[in-house]
Amino acid sequence: MKRRNFIKGFCAASAVAATMTPSILLAKDAPKNANVLTIDAAMSAITGGKAVTDSAKVSLTVPEIAENGAVVPVKVHVESPMTEADYVKAIHVLASKNGNARCADVMLTPLNAKGYFATRVKLGGTQDVVALVELSDGSFLRAAKPVKVTIGGCG
Amino acid sequence: MAEARKSMIKFKPKKFKVGDTIKVDFIVIHPMETGTKKDKKTGNIKPAHYIDSITFSLDGKPFTTMKVWETVSTNPYFSVNMKVPGKGKVTVDYTDNTGEKNTKSKKLKPKG
Amino acid sequence: MKKVLLSLAFLSTMAMLQLNAGEQFAMSDADRAMYSEMLENNPAEIYVEEGGEIFEEALGGEEALAKFLEVSEKNLPKYIAGFPRYIAKLGNVVGIDQVLQAMQVSQGKEKTKLKSGKMFSMLAYVKSLANDELLNIDINADEHIKASYDLGKTTYMTARGGRGLSCNSCHSADIVGQVLRTQPLPDLGEVAVAGTWPAYRMTKSSLRTTQRRFQGCMKNALLKVIPIGSKEMIALEVYVTTLAQAKNKKIAIPGLKR
Repeated sequence: MKRRNFIKGFCAASAVAATMTPSILLAKDAPKNANVLTIDAAMSAITGGKAVTDSAKVSLTVPEIAENGAVVPVKVHVESPMTEADYVKAIHVLASKNGNARCADVMLTPLNAKGYFATRVKLGGTQDVVALVELSDGSFLRAAKPVKVTIGGCG
Repeated sequence: MAEARKSMIKFKPKKFKVGDTIKVDFIVIHPMETGTKKDKKTGNIKPAHYIDSITFSLDGKPFTTMKVWETVSTNPYFSVNMKVPGKGKVTVDYTDNTGEKNTKSKKLKPKG
Repeated sequence: MKKVLLSLAFLSTMAMLQLNAGEQFAMSDADRAMYSEMLENNPAEIYVEEGGEIFEEALGGEEALAKFLEVSEKNLPKYIAGFPRYIAKLGNVVGIDQVLQAMQVSQGKEKTKLKSGKMFSMLAYVKSLANDELLNIDINADEHIKASYDLGKTTYMTARGGRGLSCNSCHSADIVGQVLRTQPLPDLGEVAVAGTWPAYRMTKSSLRTTQRRFQGCMKNALLKVIPIGSKEMIALEVYVTTLAQAKNKKIAIPGLKR
């Protein structure tokens, strides 16, 4: 492995922020808008205050270090028979520190055959990605993973 | 009717049989503007413009619906699974926050 | 004077803070796998497809291109993988995009600007016809391509601009791997710049070409930007292509980049 030295000031542009402003603001700067919910409010809105269990049945795959915050891959897979009697009703993807914590709400049916959903999201900075899962019996499961977002590079 | 927006539906694997579970991937060219970013040239905030709902249907019957937020990446990608019941047509209908509606279809052709 | 300043800057930065986790900015294998999987659903594919439609309708497609270049359609992919090339009837070493422009002129049509979405899409489509081919510029094919290669190498090595930097300052064999603005500096041959651009750039959410990427880098390094389609820019492309060629890299368009 090559020695990694931080070559400061080698590259021109002054502040990293100037050229690589995240396209969405972090929570503290979020415009006040009824549709824009922070993570706790968003989770409550989805669960109606019901209990949420952290579960190993929910596999959440995100990069440990995201090369950029504009396109962060997210994969969710929930162990489920996906039958009429027992299936994944919805997978909600959220980002803990985005101004609007909600990314996508996916309503599945048994025809999907797998409790699976993948997409790519914007992350305004280092934060947790959360998969909130609703099962057909009305219960909620959860998995969360931290993503370190690097905002930098040249060119 | 020519589609207003460019998009692609992909099935993975490309070759499959009746009863197989395949991946249905959908990519679409759309700015997914959050409404919080400034236009560098004018200095004005670019208005929010993003896909907010998607419905995947098989022969007209919805099997997956999605509510999408502006936090999804520009030129977004969505992927779900589907068990192949037989020949048919998969359609993806999507709407954005301006009310613009679009649709894309792909024939499901299982081998055997 | 500039050379002295450069080495001083170098020494001072070498003395700077060592990242304790040298792995801090290195991609893990799992992360690498996630990113390479994204290649399977690259938004740029839609632009490439669109480029193909325009190329077919407006220029006559592969058949017309092969005829214009005086090669068989069968050999077209391999031939495309040898660009930039010296094209006798154009009297210059040119890129694929310039060949498309020449085709338009020969058909009595208006030239599509090199720096336009339409041209970027067409360029990506035509280059993708050579997918899986080894990059194969023959720098000894004629005096023109040889001169272009030499000019390209000189351009790559010449320190210029406010900080006295050259491409080689950051991309030479002994510098690559070091972290600059959170990203490890790449070996342009190893990452096959020539084979994987045009690419979808995630930070720009659009299809970007090699030359535009070079321009972006120049801007950040305080080097005066070299114009697209200019002699020096094409020469630079020739040289950078040989770096990937030396490592037996193939064409894989469209790429997916940060």
